[in-house]
Amino acid sequence: MSDDIQRVVLQLPASAEYVDIVRLNLYGIASKMGFTYEDIEDMKVAVSEACNNSVLYAYGQADGMVDVIFEVGSSVLSITVKDEGESFDGLDASGERLTLHDKELNDVQVGGLGFYLMQALMDDVSVVSESGKGTVVTLTKRLNFSEEKV
Amino acid sequence: MNTHKSEKFHAKTETVGSVCTVYLTGELDLSVAPDFRLVMEPLVGDTGLDLVINLKDLKYIDSTGIGILLSILKARHGMDVKFTVADVPPQIQKLFDMTGISKFFASQENSH
Repeated sequence: MSDDIQRVVLQLPASAEYVDIVRLNLYGIASKMGFTYEDIEDMKVAVSEACNNSVLYAYGQADGMVDVIFEVGSSVLSITVKDEGESFDGLDASGERLTLHDKELNDVQVGGLGFYLMQALMDDVSVVSESGKGTVVTLTKRLNFSEEKV
Repeated sequence: MNTHKSEKFHAKTETVGSVCTVYLTGELDLSVAPDFRLVMEPLVGDTGLDLVINLKDLKYIDSTGIGILLSILKARHGMDVKFTVADVPPQIQKLFDMTGISKFFASQENSH
């Protein structure tokens, strides 16, 4: 039983107007699973950043869709954000961390923080981007039990 | 198009003497970034004002919102005029600390 994974699938227009709908669904699913307030807030930011990338880079000015797939396990939640647009060149899947910590204000570039936030806020992040076939971002968070389950 | 946000973004500006405070409410994300830029645009270049953004009722910010705050910091720093953020909720402070933008806010506070 504990290996059962249930899927909830959302398909939305790749538009900034709909990213809050993803957050609302995430909130519902994650709170039902027993995630803490802080973990849910972390996931909201990470998932929104993945959606933002699809909205901003996948389809240019054209209309497109984004699939968001929630995979609910007994103690783990995986969220996959998938588009079929252009791959996102600026995304460095090697995991280079683009933060501001070692920079002066004059050297700071605005942007590039989204991918870093995904990595920092989730347990696992995988990004598969294939030219012409779109981008698949999978974000995983494990439930932390403070005590053994009864 | 209005998707009837439960936490609809709103910016309210209040000027007392030379201090201009912008109070943000709701969720500052990609969809409302243009609205926020529009509110801030005339204020950022006003060197006669001490600019404060109050985040007490801000429920959520994404990297787009943090990016806008960063460009305001850069612009105000370049003109050598004051810009601070006030009443940052813990969840948002955590993101500021993670991304490293906190140190720029801190240095602004200390430099005047």
